[in-house]
Amino acid sequence: MLAYTVRRVIATIPVMLIVALFVFSLLYIAPGDPAAIIAGDQATPDDVERIRASLGLDRPFLIRFTEWLFRVMQGDLGVSIFTNLPVSHMIKQRLEPTYSLMLLTLIIALTFAIPMGVLAAWKQGTWIDRLVMVFAVLGFSVPVFVVGYVLAYTFALQLDWFPVQGYTPIGTSFTGWLSNLMLPAVALGGAFIALIARITRATMLEVLSQDYVRTAKAKGVGQGAILFVHALKNAAVPIITIIGIGFAGLIGGAVVTESVFAIPGVGRLVVDAILRRDYPVIQGVVLMFSFTYVIVNLIVDLLYTVFDPRIRY
Amino acid sequence: MPPLLDVQNLQTHFGTIDGVVRAVEGVSFHINAGETVGVVGESGCGKSVTAMSILRLIQTPPGKILFQGRDLLELSEPEMQAIRGKDISMIFQEPMTSLNPVLTVGRQIGETVVLHEGLSAREAEQRAVEMLTLVGIPAPGRRVREYPHQLSGGMRQRVMIAMALACSPQLLVADEPTTALDVTIQAQILELMRDLKTRVGAAIMLITHDLGVVAEMAQRVIVMYAGRKVEEGTVEEIFLNPLHPYTRGLMGAMPKLGSSLHETGRTKLTEIQGQVPSLRKPIIGCAFASRCPGVTDVCRKIAPAIEQKAPAHWVACHYAERAMAAA
Ligand SMILES: Nc1ncnc2c1ncn2[C@@H]1O[C@H](COP(=O)(O)OP(=O)(O)OP(=O)(O)O)[C@@H](O)[C@H]1O
Ligand SMILES: [Mg+2]
Repeated sequence: MLAYTVRRVIATIPVMLIVALFVFSLLYIAPGDPAAIIAGDQATPDDVERIRASLGLDRPFLIRFTEWLFRVMQGDLGVSIFTNLPVSHMIKQRLEPTYSLMLLTLIIALTFAIPMGVLAAWKQGTWIDRLVMVFAVLGFSVPVFVVGYVLAYTFALQLDWFPVQGYTPIGTSFTGWLSNLMLPAVALGGAFIALIARITRATMLEVLSQDYVRTAKAKGVGQGAILFVHALKNAAVPIITIIGIGFAGLIGGAVVTESVFAIPGVGRLVVDAILRRDYPVIQGVVLMFSFTYVIVNLIVDLLYTVFDPRIRY
Repeated sequence: MPPLLDVQNLQTHFGTIDGVVRAVEGVSFHINAGETVGVVGESGCGKSVTAMSILRLIQTPPGKILFQGRDLLELSEPEMQAIRGKDISMIFQEPMTSLNPVLTVGRQIGETVVLHEGLSAREAEQRAVEMLTLVGIPAPGRRVREYPHQLSGGMRQRVMIAMALACSPQLLVADEPTTALDVTIQAQILELMRDLKTRVGAAIMLITHDLGVVAEMAQRVIVMYAGRKVEEGTVEEIFLNPLHPYTRGLMGAMPKLGSSLHETGRTKLTEIQGQVPSLRKPIIGCAFASRCPGVTDVCRKIAPAIEQKAPAHWVACHYAERAMAAA
């Protein structure tokens, strides 16, 4: 198990390197000359050249990449072009709201999606099944910002059950934290719930037709234990796989959700940075999101062995 | 004394997109306490469906299934759950797929006793070790913590048997327990079942393709064809004096009088000419008419009733007397 873990961790290194290379190249791929933009409309060509040199934009790509990579590995993500603050510091300040939102979304998605999928598979072809599938299609096709505005209008403005926007740190007040994040998490979770419920239903349908489910029934095991112990554990690998893959959508959705609900998270930071072409910040945030994604999928890889003993360490 | 299991006029039909499949059509039989009854017949004749109807693993069919005097078809699902795995348990044909791949062997055996005898998890594991010892699995203390994929086919079938017998059931339904195993393992498993039967005292409904297995294990035989019971009798009667042309066909050749059962033993079911009739249409006349060498007009029109021809011998054939005279 330890050897497997170490091997999986090592396997993420090339992935991270490729991500880093891509993130660094962003500056070259993206349209517009950052030096010209920073210099502003009134600048002379000389000014632009000076700024280009100060950013190091005039030196060879590979050298700059290597230097940048070494700094990144020491936790130095550069300095924001606009605020002149260290990027790592700016991101760190905004990590809590973003990770809180993702975590709460994940918890809500799992508690609803898995029982929904299991129920739909068990009651295949009935109105319960159809209801779940309709929800799955809706959750998938309605964009996060639409759900977000509808929820905010109904539950915050009209009913006044939750704050309309903003964020309370969990350290300040847990209930404040929860009530601030509840609507954003539900809005963000819709598509995720739909995705997980669908895959749970499909996988459970297949598992429920297996011989060992019949064996369990012949032993006198009750319906609940058949579904949630005998069958669900067999369905776990495809389900956690889709959670890992779907996490990418969650990251994208979080950026949008933070804008809708004015949550001061990394998503807002990156949106502002993109508007201002603040490349060091964009690079830092993309790197941080990629790193999160890789870590989540590493955890998924490790969870496989917990759920399926046939997967070799 | 009433029989342990008394199946009366069981009719299991399946509604499918292209019509009703009459898998079991009016089958009646009984099994006494402690007795082994063999059920034989070609593939698709309804053996498994009969077995699964008894445990109500498929939707409740019409008919009566009296077990210790109670009609299983009238019980609620929780009442039925209390019987499955405790009073009646089942071994399936496919040991490779019948065990749950993600639960330990000990967990799967222990679950039965946790459910039916209220044992704690620790006691259940203890019992699982005992059961594995009983079915002859070496190093049971280590094996209980292993998963099915770490065991061979023969071992898995032993685990299935251990699981089925963990609560000392009154009736064990064994659906082709050795078909998927190779010959030496088959012999071991049969030996084990016979041995355990004497210890636990369970009655066995033994479904098989292998007439040799029936000869070795059973006291009585039921022959099924196209969802019907066509012949029933003691092993001696059926093997030495088969009356139904289908049963004779199954045996390939009539055993000579005075030959020992073991000589006839190892014969597998031989191929019979012709096709099994479709179960999607009602069958008029005798179900075997289309394949029977001695078929007459009567057979094509009137379905023969099952009648007693000897003290321990029933058969459904218009010409059973002819067969008796020839013998
Ligand atoms: N769920 C079902 N839906 C429709 N038809 C079914 C179903 N289960 C079984 N049947 C049909 O019922 C008939 C009897 O099947 P059964 O499995 O009892 O045969 P069997 O005697 O056990 O054969 P084998 O020796 O191959 O195991 C077959 O024609 C089969 O196709
Ligand atoms: Mg069968």
